[in-house]
Amino acid sequence: MKQFIKQMKHYARAVWAENIKEWKVELTYKPDFIRGLIDPLVYALPYLLYGIALVGGRNSKTLQGLVGSGDIITFVTLGYVFIGFLNMALWAMGFSLRKEQYWGTLESVFAAPVPRWVFAMGMAAHSTLHQGLMISVQLLVINLIFKLTINPAGILPSLLVVAVMLIALYGLGMMIASVTLVLKQGQLVSEALSGIMMIITPIAYPLAVLPLFLRKAAMFIPTTYGIMTVRHFLMGENMGFSVATSFFRLALLGIAWVTFGIIIFEIIDQRTRRTGTISHY
Amino acid sequence: MSVAIEVKDVVKKFRRGRRLKKRDIFAVDKATFDIEEGELFGLLGPNGAGKTTLVRCLATLLIQDEGTIKIMGKDIYSNSLYCRRQIGLVTSGERTLYWKLSGRDNLKFFAALYGLDGKERDMRIEYLMELLDLKDVQNERIEKYSSGMKQKISLARALLHDPKVLLLDEPTLGLDPQFSRFLRNFIKNSLNKEQKKTILLTTHYMDEADELCERIAFINRGKIVDVKTPYEYKRDLPHTEVLELRCSGIQNCDELLKQLQSLNSVEKTTANSVDHVTNIKIILPRAEPILSDTIELVRKQGKILGINVEQPTLEDVFIYVTGTRLSEDTAEERPATKD
Ligand SMILES: Nc1ncnc2c1ncn2[C@@H]1O[C@H](COP(=O)(O)OP(=O)(O)OP(=O)(O)O)[C@@H](O)[C@H]1O
Ligand SMILES: [Mg+2]
Repeated sequence: MKQFIKQMKHYARAVWAENIKEWKVELTYKPDFIRGLIDPLVYALPYLLYGIALVGGRNSKTLQGLVGSGDIITFVTLGYVFIGFLNMALWAMGFSLRKEQYWGTLESVFAAPVPRWVFAMGMAAHSTLHQGLMISVQLLVINLIFKLTINPAGILPSLLVVAVMLIALYGLGMMIASVTLVLKQGQLVSEALSGIMMIITPIAYPLAVLPLFLRKAAMFIPTTYGIMTVRHFLMGENMGFSVATSFFRLALLGIAWVTFGIIIFEIIDQRTRRTGTISHY
Repeated sequence: MSVAIEVKDVVKKFRRGRRLKKRDIFAVDKATFDIEEGELFGLLGPNGAGKTTLVRCLATLLIQDEGTIKIMGKDIYSNSLYCRRQIGLVTSGERTLYWKLSGRDNLKFFAALYGLDGKERDMRIEYLMELLDLKDVQNERIEKYSSGMKQKISLARALLHDPKVLLLDEPTLGLDPQFSRFLRNFIKNSLNKEQKKTILLTTHYMDEADELCERIAFINRGKIVDVKTPYEYKRDLPHTEVLELRCSGIQNCDELLKQLQSLNSVEKTTANSVDHVTNIKIILPRAEPILSDTIELVRKQGKILGINVEQPTLEDVFIYVTGTRLSEDTAEERPATKD
């Protein structure tokens, strides 16, 4: 038991060290870091303004009919936050091992007496904190400019939803991280998945506008529940199912995706150690 | 004395080529040897011999296709975390550290991976920086380090958790002579003699192996050819002299070697050419009797630039045992089997 606690402490420290190391590396390229903060804002603004121009104001009757609240700015901004989370899993986590492989440090890291899932957790921790910071800054700035109309009481429950959703996204991230290690064109996987998820999850539009079969498919993707429940809490979106159902399904999806992620991660890890493909960039 | 590293019938194949032209190369081919606790053991072989592959198997970075490896008595496959704790690994190549981080930050990160923390960690890093004379540069980014300093940090990293076993893959590769000398001394005196670490060192510099190692395994094309002490290797070589000729203008080297080989009592001949200058080595009991014949044969083809008669070095032993020079690249010409 004592041994076990000692070991868990060791792993926890390894996770934290991985996170700190990532921040340190990131902050050595300060201009890039600042661009990373500003770019998403610059991308988001045209969409927001385009929306206003198209609707002829901030409020859309159609949206109100579909969601409950007609404020397109808040609607699009929240969607944008979830695109950020998706990108975190697909790109930041997804390419973390590949990046180390490119640097040449992956083998040194893998030679350490720590199970490899600990690195996966380390990169999850860093990606989450990184993305969290980005999203906070974006929300603050957009709020300054447009003044989002949200229900303040919904903020805490929303954070909880996001936390549960992240578990599933970590599974996705782990899966991509190992796939990109063996596929030379790993970005294609990320791009394809990103495209599919953007289309079938109701990030930029309400679920109701999708054809039925896509609506069914969307039910297997964690961001669907994430965004809908958050919009339910903050904007009063009518989800068509209860909050409890949403949490329950999110948790199930989390378990499923993480299990899937770990299995793929392990299979690819074993395979690369047999074929020796890991050292070859 | 107990065994620290046990390698038994280890085979590691790699798949080369695509589709129809697929073939397996045996990077390590039925390797067997034991390394005693506290021993400084050398793995000597030319480029592509399979040294790195074997080290990567020992470090659990690769899984061997056949055979077993034990570190401090435990099988590395079923006890990989335990075994990784016993091992300090220094791989060749400079890119194994985070170039954007300082030497100290690199060590702090890896210390966490090796389970060190707080005061213990700081003291250990301090000690290693002192030991390897890195204190002045510890807060500089790795990208500003010279090759030698990078190698020192790699070594410090391998020593963080004070492992019993060290795997050093060509540790002096690409370093200037002064740094090489420092590192060799450090490995022999500080790490092996004082700290009693078991060390597996791979190299293709025969003088390095000769100088440092208590026992040396010759590895060639994936096979362990022999394991002996440097003294035994030289003693057991039944030939006592090496006749070396430096010549130019040799057109048909193979033919010349054949002729030389047929001279009385000649055991082995090899040649390598750089920029029209051919270096010929003839291994035989005594060089003097064939000297004039040799000169005559060489003169038929070209000019003699120099002649030397020497006692055999470990390199000559290697040539004698394997038929390959240590400086040769054997990566592409190993025996392959179809699947
Ligand atoms: N991951 C890999 N995939 C395919 N082939 C490999 C791989 N790693 C090594 N090889 C091949 O296996 C053989 C042994 O290589 P290895 O790197 O172990 O030799 P080495 O003795 O370390 O040589 P060097 O002195 O060049 O470092 C070579 O033919 C090499 O091309
Ligand atoms: Mg090598």
